[in-house]
Amino acid sequence: MSLGVAVETVGLAKDFGSIHALKDLNFKIERGQVFGLIGPNGAGKTTALRVISTLLLPTSGQAKVFDLDVVRDAREIRKIITYLPDEAGVYRNLSGKEYLEFMGRFSARNRNELDEMIRQAADICGLGERLKDKAKTYSKGMKRRLLVARALMTKPKLAILDEPASGLDVLHAYHVRAIIKRYVKEHEVTVLLSSHNMLEVEHICDQVTLINKGIIVAEGKPEELKERYGSANLEEVFAKVVGFA
Amino acid sequence: MRRWLALLKGFRNIFVKELKELMRDPKILLGMIIVPLIMFPVLGGIMSFSMQTAQEQAQKASVLVLNNDDGDFSAILISNLSTTVKVFVENATSPEEALSRNLLSHYNSTQFIEIPSGFSINMSEHLAGNKSVKASVKIYSVFSGSGMFEDLSSSMFDYFIEGFNRQFQPNIVYSERSSIIKGEIKNVDPRMLSTLMLSQAIAMPITIMILLTYSMQIAATSVAMEKEEKTLETLLTLPIDRFAVLMGKLAGSIFVAGIGAVTYMIGFNFYMGSFTSSFSAGANVDLVSLGLVPSLFGYLLLGISLFVTLLSALALAVILSAFAEDVRGAQSLVGYVYPFLFIPSFVLMYVNIESLPFALKMALYAVPFSHPIIASRAVVMGDYWTVAFGIIYVTFFTLAIMYAASRLFATEKILTLKLKFRGLRKNKKEPVE
Repeated sequence: MSLGVAVETVGLAKDFGSIHALKDLNFKIERGQVFGLIGPNGAGKTTALRVISTLLLPTSGQAKVFDLDVVRDAREIRKIITYLPDEAGVYRNLSGKEYLEFMGRFSARNRNELDEMIRQAADICGLGERLKDKAKTYSKGMKRRLLVARALMTKPKLAILDEPASGLDVLHAYHVRAIIKRYVKEHEVTVLLSSHNMLEVEHICDQVTLINKGIIVAEGKPEELKERYGSANLEEVFAKVVGFA
Repeated sequence: MRRWLALLKGFRNIFVKELKELMRDPKILLGMIIVPLIMFPVLGGIMSFSMQTAQEQAQKASVLVLNNDDGDFSAILISNLSTTVKVFVENATSPEEALSRNLLSHYNSTQFIEIPSGFSINMSEHLAGNKSVKASVKIYSVFSGSGMFEDLSSSMFDYFIEGFNRQFQPNIVYSERSSIIKGEIKNVDPRMLSTLMLSQAIAMPITIMILLTYSMQIAATSVAMEKEEKTLETLLTLPIDRFAVLMGKLAGSIFVAGIGAVTYMIGFNFYMGSFTSSFSAGANVDLVSLGLVPSLFGYLLLGISLFVTLLSALALAVILSAFAEDVRGAQSLVGYVYPFLFIPSFVLMYVNIESLPFALKMALYAVPFSHPIIASRAVVMGDYWTVAFGIIYVTFFTLAIMYAASRLFATEKILTLKLKFRGLRKNKKEPVE
């Protein structure tokens, strides 16, 4: 049953000079879905996410987030989304808690709300007492968990996560994926995530769109796609779609 | 032996790689090699030009002689002086009267010599054998605090009196010197004053130079670090006005740079005080009583001038760092501004801006970083209009830069702009995945 549309792109294109990073991108994300934009490096995933998160302007076409236009209503969109960039860092000289407080203050309306956010974030990242330490003492996995917690703690209507488990080892990646899955269920957050790791996407996404060289090459539920292309996993699906297999 | 050869081979390999890496980096090449090669000859050229101009001006200078002696020797002195410089003579006029009648500006001169009554009588007595009697002249020079070469014209008198004495007897005439400060005669040798003021004239440009360099580095690093760590992307998707992001960053840099400036000034003050106090004690020069320290209003103007300049430098650093991908790139880019900071500082340390040719003068006025240095000298001399003009100019410059910075922050350019060094073209071909 559809709960309505969270994100919709129509003919979305983005050029960087003579490079066409996105060409005629059309997709819809239902509310409450975990939607995966997947493809190899350089496919245009990050560009698409940056356009939807109001960082980049589309060259042509349209992108809407909860019926708000990314160009015209950018300010309003920023109130209901959070964006986690790929390989993002944290402020090295702030403690984990200070970082969360800093980020939380932009959304929290009062101290109680802020405290609740921090409590949520602490629960999500599971860093415990280490939240009091400076972020420069954190491992890569700890930083990523902190950032994922930051992206989810405000209970955004749409969380845009670029390679949320990038560079993490198996255990840390598993933990981050588990966090996202659990949080989405509990708080009905819509998630748009990108990944070049198609196996991980299978486990977390309700709906996926395969993108290559700026265009959509296949879309559907992971199980449907595997069935449609007679493949054991999404990696094989992708290889078949782009003609590698 | 084999071990040494292996070590040498390893060393050579690393060394060649380093050279290739460093020398092929256009930022390093430009900042470390080309800029100094241009900057120092430019500085040297300006300095020698200023020196030459000051000498020419000294030669062209006109001198007012207040002749209060009616003997022959004063006539000889005036006649001798006329062969060196253009001389205007006023008879039976006291220095105070000369000032009240504005005779200096009337004759377009900055100094006058008073030949006191009894000059010729004293000369005659000395020549008759009474060596204890000497003749004197009094030299009064307008002190403008204009820099290192201010003394040139007054040192001309030393040569002249030496020459005059050689004509008669050694040490027959000696000179006493006084300064005219803000229209009043002060019993202080202008040469001593110049030396003392020079130490202050050097302190301010150095302080400003370091303060601006330091704060630009802070601002550029702060933005570049956000870009490098991708925290800027996160910030720009938050429900916050991007102008607030910009202003917050600028304010943070100003605050840290301000603390740096204050501690630096305190330290530098101790350093300068260590020798100016002993100097002034020995020479009995009190700048406060001479009116050669800024008034409270002067300090306020100087503070405003410094603040707007600091803001312009920071906004410039923020814009430049927007073109960089990382901290190193941002610091290199900011390095291109340094010649505009160093050259005015060094030039204005020693040279009066007014003595420079029109084009050079305008070029210095156009550089916003010159203005606090010009202001630091102008407030001492009570020339508040110059300071006010500087503040207005730098404020407009700052507003323009701030506007550009805020436009940059308001658009995607803050993330996508990159400077391609070959031809300094904007690189639009870089994909952002």
